[in-house]
Amino acid sequence: MREKIKMSDKKRAAYRTGIVVFLVVAALTAVEFYLASISGAIAVLFFIALIKAALIVRYFMHVNRLWTDEGHE
Amino acid sequence: MSVATTTLSQYRAQLRSNRLGLWLFFISELFLFGGLLISRFYLWGGTRPDLDQRLGLIVTSILLLSSFFMYLAEVGAEHENRRLFLFSLIMTALLGTAFLLGVVIFEWGGEIRPWDGAFGAILYGMTGMHALHVASGIVLILIVAYNGLRGRYTAERHWGVEACAIYWHYVDVVWIFFYPAIYLMGTVPT
Repeated sequence: MREKIKMSDKKRAAYRTGIVVFLVVAALTAVEFYLASISGAIAVLFFIALIKAALIVRYFMHVNRLWTDEGHE
Repeated sequence: MSVATTTLSQYRAQLRSNRLGLWLFFISELFLFGGLLISRFYLWGGTRPDLDQRLGLIVTSILLLSSFFMYLAEVGAEHENRRLFLFSLIMTALLGTAFLLGVVIFEWGGEIRPWDGAFGAILYGMTGMHALHVASGIVLILIVAYNGLRGRYTAERHWGVEACAIYWHYVDVVWIFFYPAIYLMGTVPT
């Protein structure tokens, strides 16, 4: 029973992470689009792209699993 | 060594090597996409071609949404939620196909041709190489969906799903840099 509740919590946390990352990356894309319409500054747009990529690499690509045994439990 | 004969500890040990191998492959791919990105800045500088901004935003949003569904598919596999897993995989493949069609039909159907100097060469080089990876990702997703339908993945053993998901997200990460470089950075020469 406790195992089942723990699993359900993990699942809920995973959904929450996915939704938050998706929304943040979508918002940053909208910011990029807006900034480009007023200036098109390369450095700013590249910095935003770096943040978006870091979020995907960390949370969707699970780069930390390279040095942990996370997943497939 | 088949999946059926390996113990869980053997499988986990293998998993570490698999993950490392996949990330090394991504690093090698980085040279390809990095080269294209550097070529863009070298040849286009502070300019960019006059492309349909709405189309760029739409295809980017579609690819981002597909990445979210791929994430859900992986969560479904990890928690043995078969319905979520298969539905999300199919959604990812459909959105990936929509992205591909958006680039190939609408973007490539525009005024710029591959032989139109630096603009044409870089635009088709970047979008073409990326589209090739999207297409191969869709094939991988369909293979994983087929295996999923046959019940080949469990919560403990689903490396195929994880590898496919990571590959798809990698393709998304590449576009995260390509989208502003192609559509947003610089000004359109008059």
